[in-house]
Amino acid sequence: MRVKVMKFGGTSVATPEARMQSALRVVSAREQGFSPVVVVSAIGRKGAPYATDTLINLLREIDPNVEPDARELDLMAACGEILSSVIFAHTLKTLGHRAQAYRGGQAGIRTDGVYGNARIIGINPTSLFRSIEEGCIPVVCGFQGVYVSGDGAPGGELTTLGRGGSDTTGAAIGAAMKAEAVEIFTDVDGVKTADPDYVKQAPTLRTVTYDEVAELAHLGAKVVHPRAAEIAMQYDIPIWVKNTFSDDPGTEIVKREDFPGRRVTGVSHTGKLVYLQFDLAEASEPHRIELEGRIYQIVSEHGINLYMVNLSPSGTGFAVPRDQYPLLRDLLDALVVPLDEGQKSIYLFQIGPRTREVEMQAKLLEPLGSYKCVRAALTEGCTMVSLIGHEYMQQAGLFHAVLKSLADIQIPVLQTSDSDFSLSVLVPEADAHRAVRALHDRFGLAEVV
Amino acid sequence: MNKPPKAAIGWGGETEFEKRRGVSSVEVREGYAQVHVSELGQDIVNERLAVLEAITQTGVSLDFLKLTPSGLSFLVRQEEAESIEECLQPLNVKHTVRPDRAIVLVSAVNIRDEEGLLADLVHRAISSAARVDHISDMHDRLLMVVRASDAPQLKECILEAQDAS
Repeated sequence: MRVKVMKFGGTSVATPEARMQSALRVVSAREQGFSPVVVVSAIGRKGAPYATDTLINLLREIDPNVEPDARELDLMAACGEILSSVIFAHTLKTLGHRAQAYRGGQAGIRTDGVYGNARIIGINPTSLFRSIEEGCIPVVCGFQGVYVSGDGAPGGELTTLGRGGSDTTGAAIGAAMKAEAVEIFTDVDGVKTADPDYVKQAPTLRTVTYDEVAELAHLGAKVVHPRAAEIAMQYDIPIWVKNTFSDDPGTEIVKREDFPGRRVTGVSHTGKLVYLQFDLAEASEPHRIELEGRIYQIVSEHGINLYMVNLSPSGTGFAVPRDQYPLLRDLLDALVVPLDEGQKSIYLFQIGPRTREVEMQAKLLEPLGSYKCVRAALTEGCTMVSLIGHEYMQQAGLFHAVLKSLADIQIPVLQTSDSDFSLSVLVPEADAHRAVRALHDRFGLAEVV
Repeated sequence: MNKPPKAAIGWGGETEFEKRRGVSSVEVREGYAQVHVSELGQDIVNERLAVLEAITQTGVSLDFLKLTPSGLSFLVRQEEAESIEECLQPLNVKHTVRPDRAIVLVSAVNIRDEEGLLADLVHRAISSAARVDHISDMHDRLLMVVRASDAPQLKECILEAQDAS
């Protein structure tokens, strides 16, 4: 049995015409001797009538002040893929091919119990193999699975896999069924050297390694999700990224041994971030350590995510997602921290410009004697721009080349971060386009294939 | 929810998949020196570039560069610290080179997206007896630079916290 998993994203199933085009690709694969297993996303992207966000809004609009339960959110979010799979299966039927729609749980996808961001623990694809043996094309809902608690409750709990969940479903089913290939169909020609909205001439990479694509995806490239790339790498399943609406050959994702890589693979950008740099220069070293500890304890206890963490003798800093910033500001702005060490010291936190709350706390503290202000410089509206590659990332002078390219066009760099395969800079969001283009030019990415 | 005991589920023939959440490993890498350049002047952008250009001329590859309010901080291999010292002298910039540093590398899949995990690890490290000189994060790991002699203790502290959770 030559299994080929074909995953179709939202735009590939958005309209009857798009679904027909996608379905014809499935039929074509079958005619070539493959046993296709289809994985579908919800119909359309944000704003479309059956898109995941639209369905979730049906709950939120009842009363925006009451947060729906995570369990109910998952049940609602999963409806988009269920509709999509049934409609796709019926589209195949109209073309003369028997097809069966499967929810994630019916397809044997078992997850952990984290609603909204579940991880796949295991897949038992028996029902999918049975469907193929009966002459059907299985059409599986992406983005969902089932959590079985083991406490005797029947049926299990429906869970969703979080961002990029349908790609993850496709790769995981491909691995479980030992597929010859996993094809991810989207509305671009493949993995590009940069977001084509930012760099129009960004070429399509014909071959990339799992490492490269995982790094690109982790750092913002949206074409394939890193979890999918990591599963495919673990099980050595070839992945193709193709355009549903063109005959472009697409991008093949392969093992490192099969492709030596290139100097620089691409430039990505991600995140709507807020950067905070705390000035602790006035605190003694023991107090600085206590204050830093207090900051990170509060951030941790409230589940706030961090990027670009840094620590120096004069303070600490990090970026947080913009949607989590209001919570962080509420927690830290006007926070009073008394520290005792011989002489009593009081610290008052001020995040960004002085607020009325800070003024009020300052007035309340005045009768107690002097206090010290811990100010956090605030840069709202930041984005992380990253250069991705292989060994070249260890090249002497790379930091200088990147920072100089940006300084030459007056783009301020707020912070940096690097790994074996990437170098990231935090820049103002307003400069993100220019930064991506400058690095794309500087490292000759228009010529890369 | 608690993780289900596998035997109770009765799903045979499964292929196991994604890595578990949380810390998957803690590794210590020794043999580094931390370089901290501080008190650069008003034209900090160009002064930082001058420092980086001078280092580029030495052919030394630096790791984990962080921009600080008055300068920059990074790691080099211990055996390259002398070259760095020599190249910074003529620039007349205030700098300190801390030898015998180790990196405590904490790996956790999607560490930046696991709510509060990165902050929790940093908090534990700062609250431990080890003095953390430098921190950097990537999508799948956090690295903390400490005295080589403190590294095993910090590693234990992180592992104990992980076991407890």
